[in-house]
Amino acid sequence: MGKRIRIFSIAVKNLRRKIIRTVLLLLAVTVVTAALFSATLFISSMQNALKIGTYRLGADVLVVPEKYATEARAALLAGEPTSFYMDRAVLEKAKRVEGVKAATPQLFIKPASFTCCYNVDVFLIAFEPETDFTITPWLEKNLKKKLTGNEIIAGRTVPVLVGDSIPFYGTLFNVVGTMEPTGMKFFDQSVFMTMDAAYAMAASSKENAMQPITIERNKISAVLIKVQDGFTPERVAIRLEHDIDGIKAIASEEVINTVRRQLGGLMKGILAISVVLWVLALLMLGFAFYMIVNERQRELGLLRAMGARKGHIFRLIVLEAILISVSGGIAGLIGGSALLLGFKGLIISSFKLPYLLPPVPVLMELVAGAVLFSLMTGLIASLIPATLASSLEPYEAIRKGE
Amino acid sequence: MIEIKDLTKTYTVGGQVSKVVDHVSFKLAKGEIVSIIGHSGSGKTTLLSLIGGLTKPDSGSVIIGGKDIWAMDDAGLSGFRNRMLSFIFQFSSLIPTLTAFENVVLPAAFGDYKEEITGYAKELLDTVGLGDKMNSFPSQLSGGQQRRIAIARAFINRPEIILADEPTGDLDEETEAEIMALFKNMNREREVTFLLVTHSSELAGQAGRQLRMSSGLVSAA
Ligand SMILES: Nc1ncnc2c1ncn2[C@@H]1O[C@H](COP(=O)(O)OP(=O)(O)OP(=O)(O)O)[C@@H](O)[C@H]1O
Ligand SMILES: [Mg+2]
Repeated sequence: MGKRIRIFSIAVKNLRRKIIRTVLLLLAVTVVTAALFSATLFISSMQNALKIGTYRLGADVLVVPEKYATEARAALLAGEPTSFYMDRAVLEKAKRVEGVKAATPQLFIKPASFTCCYNVDVFLIAFEPETDFTITPWLEKNLKKKLTGNEIIAGRTVPVLVGDSIPFYGTLFNVVGTMEPTGMKFFDQSVFMTMDAAYAMAASSKENAMQPITIERNKISAVLIKVQDGFTPERVAIRLEHDIDGIKAIASEEVINTVRRQLGGLMKGILAISVVLWVLALLMLGFAFYMIVNERQRELGLLRAMGARKGHIFRLIVLEAILISVSGGIAGLIGGSALLLGFKGLIISSFKLPYLLPPVPVLMELVAGAVLFSLMTGLIASLIPATLASSLEPYEAIRKGE
Repeated sequence: MIEIKDLTKTYTVGGQVSKVVDHVSFKLAKGEIVSIIGHSGSGKTTLLSLIGGLTKPDSGSVIIGGKDIWAMDDAGLSGFRNRMLSFIFQFSSLIPTLTAFENVVLPAAFGDYKEEITGYAKELLDTVGLGDKMNSFPSQLSGGQQRRIAIARAFINRPEIILADEPTGDLDEETEAEIMALFKNMNREREVTFLLVTHSSELAGQAGRQLRMSSGLVSAA
């Protein structure tokens, strides 16, 4: 059988006939889809980051030595690290405080420079893999195993590669992984090791290092606490301060809430703008197709005379609109992703938030949603013009176009 | 067999009611060639449109093969236009985005065409003398050539009835004769019924029967 002409190819040919108009309409959909897609992706990335829990957000309450409260706050919020120590007994006491669900210690070790290849200052953070709930979620994503022995994980901006060996205080450590950017300078410039490794390193630094360091086994820098359901971090923080002498308990809820509020406001703003943009694109597309139908009346009437049913005409017009809007939508998807990728650094630094893409299924949903959205845009915009076109009386249509 | 009964169509323009087709009744036997002549504005094109299901009459009926076409639903009427009947329009009726060949096979996009189309389309294009213009677009063809493409298209669905509105309007005498020969041939071989509107007394003379239309009224010429 020969090459027959199909409604689809009639639609494509019509779109090609007025290529500039087609491209302009397509671009309108591109802009809207790009805006909506990048906004949704951005927000869901942010929510994903909040959900996974960052270092500072992952713990509900942070317990530090009372004298260092200001420094601790500064370290966590502004990313200016300092080291401070307190008795390990705080950990045991904290575990017994009402409302505490889990507690894990961490050590912050003052900046150490390593000069194997570069001269950089990094911050050392030691954690207890057995009880940790703040750093492990990050590691699991990247390393997929527990950290042991002299293994370390490097933050994003530490200039080392997996497989490198670097010395800290006279002990050689193996880099077994690097972190995704987290958005916190403090975190990105840190190197993560186990508590055991940190104590061993400190102990041997007297013989091996030029600048030895002293960290006794019974010292820790902070206790990170997760509260039980039904307790607010603020209440638990007050209790902790009441029950344990010489500590300061910082509740994180305040921080989370601030971020949530920021995100919420941002989302509303973006949504409002997107809706306005969308309505404009819809009107533009709808009006364009109204004119298209008008100028093609004669042709449509002729198709009817050749036996095209109302449904054929309706389909032809809707198909043209959907071809435009879906191509525009796909272009918007690509454009929106490029936009996000291009501004990733800026987003991270201005929100001081880790930037994590949502998991693949969510990502697929977003992409499918964007395509469906653009398809619906074409469909809705062409509904009225297509209905008008299909209900034209053939003879009237042919005469009017003459 | 076509039976037109009491067909009436009026238009109201600026409050003025004009009966463009005025209680017209006549019959066409299968395989007949009938011509309609009449002054400009007498209602010939309107009458063809009523018979071909392109515009709804105010009253009266068009009965083809025992069925009143104006009692059919859209799918029925469209199917009828797609398979039973073809128009040859007074004015250019090609789709500008499609090639000559694509224009000829276009009706197949709207119906269930099981038969071979491509070869037949080429054959028809050869018959109208435009086998070498298959891939030309309408804008690359002369008025007469476009008309001949439209004539080729009218036969693609192997219709039983052809409603032709000035089919040779912009053709020279020689081409007109060829087209008339084609019509006669189709009429003889396939018993295609023709209703021809024409100004050409030559063409009208070749019809088996002539009708005259005047101010919406049809009478034997
Ligand atoms: N849709 C319409 N609205 C108003 N008047 C119409 C309409 N269609 C046709 N007419 C009028 O009906 C009359 C007949 O028109 P029609 O096209 O049938 O004439 P015709 O016999 O085919 O003329 P010609 O030989 O010039 O093609 C004309 O006066 C025309 O103005
Ligand atoms: Mg006419």
